[in-house]
Amino acid sequence: MSAPAIVARHLKKRFGTFVAVDDVSFEVERGEIFGYLGANGAGKSTTIRILCGLLEPTSGTATVAGHSVAEDPEAVKASIGYMSQKFSLYLDLPVAENLAFFGGAYGLSGRALRRRTEEVLELSGLAEVRDAQTGSLPGGIRQRLALGCAVLHQPEIVFLDEPTAGVDPTARRIFWKLIRELSRGGTTVFVTTHYLDEAEYCARIGLMVDGRLVALDTPAQLKRTHVPDRMFAVRGPNAARASGPLRQVAGVRNVEPFGAGLHVRAEPGRCEAQTLRAAAGAAGHQVEVEPIDPTLEDVFLAVVGRSAKKEEDGA
Amino acid sequence: MNPVSRFFTRIGAMAAKETLHIRRDPRTLYLALVMPVVLLLVFGYGVSFDTDHLPIAVVDLDQSSESRELVRGFTASGELEVAARPANAEEAERLVQRGEVLGVLTVPAGAGRDLLRGTAVELQLAVDGADGVIANQLLSKSEALARALNVKLSPLDGVAPPLEVRVWTRFNPSLKSAFFFVPGLTAYLLAIAAVLLTALAIAGEWERGSMEQLFASPVSGIEIILGKLLPYLALGCLQMLLVLAFGTWAFDVPILGSLPLLFLAGMLFLVGMLGQGLLISVVTRNQLVATQAGAFSSLLPSLLLSGFVFPIENMPRVLQWLSHVIPARYLVNALRGLMLKGVGLEAIWGDLVALTIFAVAVLGISTARFRRKLA
Repeated sequence: MSAPAIVARHLKKRFGTFVAVDDVSFEVERGEIFGYLGANGAGKSTTIRILCGLLEPTSGTATVAGHSVAEDPEAVKASIGYMSQKFSLYLDLPVAENLAFFGGAYGLSGRALRRRTEEVLELSGLAEVRDAQTGSLPGGIRQRLALGCAVLHQPEIVFLDEPTAGVDPTARRIFWKLIRELSRGGTTVFVTTHYLDEAEYCARIGLMVDGRLVALDTPAQLKRTHVPDRMFAVRGPNAARASGPLRQVAGVRNVEPFGAGLHVRAEPGRCEAQTLRAAAGAAGHQVEVEPIDPTLEDVFLAVVGRSAKKEEDGA
Repeated sequence: MNPVSRFFTRIGAMAAKETLHIRRDPRTLYLALVMPVVLLLVFGYGVSFDTDHLPIAVVDLDQSSESRELVRGFTASGELEVAARPANAEEAERLVQRGEVLGVLTVPAGAGRDLLRGTAVELQLAVDGADGVIANQLLSKSEALARALNVKLSPLDGVAPPLEVRVWTRFNPSLKSAFFFVPGLTAYLLAIAAVLLTALAIAGEWERGSMEQLFASPVSGIEIILGKLLPYLALGCLQMLLVLAFGTWAFDVPILGSLPLLFLAGMLFLVGMLGQGLLISVVTRNQLVATQAGAFSSLLPSLLLSGFVFPIENMPRVLQWLSHVIPARYLVNALRGLMLKGVGLEAIWGDLVALTIFAVAVLGISTARFRRKLA
């Protein structure tokens, strides 16, 4: 089938006077990894919960795996896997028993359940800890188990709400390898995160700000659209002090601290690395300057706009 | 797979998971299996309404070998104990006032002669009525003893034993309160454990966050409720077996009626109580609140309004009405009938119907209130 895996049309969710999701529309293709980005409270979890049939939208419609969420929530629930933001497996049960339970909850039993349990233990690298009590395992492994429980019944679509929050970088990398494997196997993955480096793995990204979907595209296209300027990295022992002189260079729009150095954003064609190095040198600061690709963080800052930027500068 | 077998697969998965939780949680097992037995023993030995060795004074005005025999007959069972043998009524009166004895048995002059002649002997029993329970015990005990000895007892201060004392005596000839309290205590213990266990079960899923995960799965509300109910029902049956076994073994309480009927009544009651716990859990979504609401709604009514401690007939009218919605009342009645009187279905069917109505109603409300939405 070529129909989109998820279709959201003008979704709106209001809690009292607070509008958590405001007129959000998008489509997610089958087999795609769709990243849903935004700050805490931007409406990411609310959107996921609406799509999983856990919350009724105030208005708007959603179709998931070809079924209307409002009219046929049971069919939706049978074709999706969901990993909620809060870790919610049973800590007092061993790994294999958590899998067995969720398999049963999705109607798997007997040989099919045993086969899938083994496959998932293998796929998610949990075979060695299968009999360990879940509560005794580190966060990264628990998250892999939660993912395993969500895909045990081979759903068409998995919704992962901040699956890597609070997980160390190595474990995050392993987790994303699993996500890519799922996607290669044809599973549609809808994942929220606020780690912008992770978002690079997504085929497309939706950016949520205050309940509104303000940008939606591939990572590369988002960079081109929202950060048309050239970016330069400035490094050197006194790089931070060069911030003042660099701001005076013609064509430079913005200078921001980045690690020990600086990131400079300039109008295309108006200044080169050479110009910047000379300007810093003239002020007595020896620095290295090289052109760089903008990151999603730059996109995020550009899109979120002035208010967010002010906070960044202040911090 | 067809929908029906999926239904049972999902209930089975819920029940199996819950069983694993129970097996791994010593608190649950303690609450269900250890606490009832401990309470039973505490009630049985510590808080017994039985008062053996009631101290009485004996004023023997006859001083014959027959009159001494008569007094010995009264005290041989150990239930009454001769604490003093004052010479006259005034001295005995002082003993009662000081609280050293609870009653005074007076054997009139000429009692020995009357006994030998075969005419009825009239003994006098003065009872300290300050403690109504003990006074009643003393009266009913001496009545039973007097009947056995073929003597007539004339109450001095007119404290007539109330009606239920006689009923009690009829089916419980040795007047052991264990016979009376074991059925009541069974209902009480089952009620507390059942309500608390399930009150924690669903609230726990909310607190853990796993409820959201369950809602996103195809498991329906009724499947969650039944899956939670079944393991605790099994545990409750085990608990009932344990309490009844201990009751009959430690306190010699008989089970004169049908065992299957006994378990049917117990199961219906358990389903109702477990349902009540589920309902509390569904509404509160919080283990702490659920525990308190569960304890309050199960413990007090099954203790006070079930007829376990206080006879329903003696309650104010309002409480009597209220007791009709307390399932423990029906179980206590059914268990007493089945255990002590050996009655059959004809005598307790009304209780079974009432228990069934409660169970169906409370489960129905729980399922209806249990919407698989987060807000």
